[in-house]
Amino acid sequence: MAQDGQTSINIPQLIAVAVVGFLAIRWFMSKPSTPGASSSRRNTIDVNKIEQVSSVFPQLDRRSIAWDLQRNGGNVEATMERVLGGRGLENPPPSFQPNLPTPATTQNAGGSTATGRKPNAPLPDLITRYNLQSRVSGKGKEPVPSEEQKRNAWSADKSARADALKKRREDMILAARRKMEEKERQA
Amino acid sequence: MNSVAAKRLFQEYKALSVDPPDGITAGPVNEDDLFLWEALIQGPEGTPFEGGVFPAELKFPRDYPLMPPTMKFTCDMWHPNVYPNGVVCISILHPPGDDPNHYESASERWSPIQSVEKILISVMSMIAEPNDESPANVDAARMWREQRPQYEARVKADVRRSLGL
Repeated sequence: MAQDGQTSINIPQLIAVAVVGFLAIRWFMSKPSTPGASSSRRNTIDVNKIEQVSSVFPQLDRRSIAWDLQRNGGNVEATMERVLGGRGLENPPPSFQPNLPTPATTQNAGGSTATGRKPNAPLPDLITRYNLQSRVSGKGKEPVPSEEQKRNAWSADKSARADALKKRREDMILAARRKMEEKERQA
Repeated sequence: MNSVAAKRLFQEYKALSVDPPDGITAGPVNEDDLFLWEALIQGPEGTPFEGGVFPAELKFPRDYPLMPPTMKFTCDMWHPNVYPNGVVCISILHPPGDDPNHYESASERWSPIQSVEKILISVMSMIAEPNDESPANVDAARMWREQRPQYEARVKADVRRSLGL
């Protein structure tokens, strides 16, 4: 009778001990990992956000994008605005080593073989290509072509024609650049 | 130099110099070779390409104007109808005759009554209004369709950079 009672008490007791023990072990094991996980979450920016910015500005370094996103609290719009505003992104400190996804880079590389152009090698800008650096700083407005100049648009001389065409090209580029600068100053 | 093609190209060069269409500058890279041209096209206003200037190369075949030239942008051009390598895909640049796929009518395609000026004007309106059927750059087309703000932001960034700003 006493023995019967002992066993009938022991089984629920054992179960209770097992359950409490299991929970205790789980609690101990999960406790150290939880703060670690949350801190690493703080350091890692949502990969999708980096991808989003990178898809719009493929020439930007992903690490710089990650750094800017981290500093503005993961605000994709703010990062894009910043780039569009011409302020560019800061270079992250060397200690900043986010876990950038490798699949993204391989995907990028795959895309480049398909398209035949290196993704991070943008073409030279027009100012460099047409050697206009010396004329960029000149603040004066290009004179509007007068009627006489327009009439002289076609010369009988071959080299004069070539020069006129070259000048029209360069003026078109410089005018566009000045207009864009003006627009940005007003914004 | 005295071929039909060269004569015609020279005439077109003259016409484009004397009376250039708005926002277009075009002519041979070097008059000794009239079959290779360079064109600059201004980005159409009211589009994300506004304010930009886009250089392109035109290569004419020896049997021009029977066959059309090829056109290739030599700048970054994120556009559904421009291949990632810069080649422009537009009906006016397709050989004359009926489209084997029946997408385009013969009148939209190249014929000797077209001209460099008409090509450049067509490309300008293509820049403003991409044709979503059979895109040349699938990624750009998808972004243009599904993520328009991102598409526009990317184009604007390319324009800015191309002006050296």
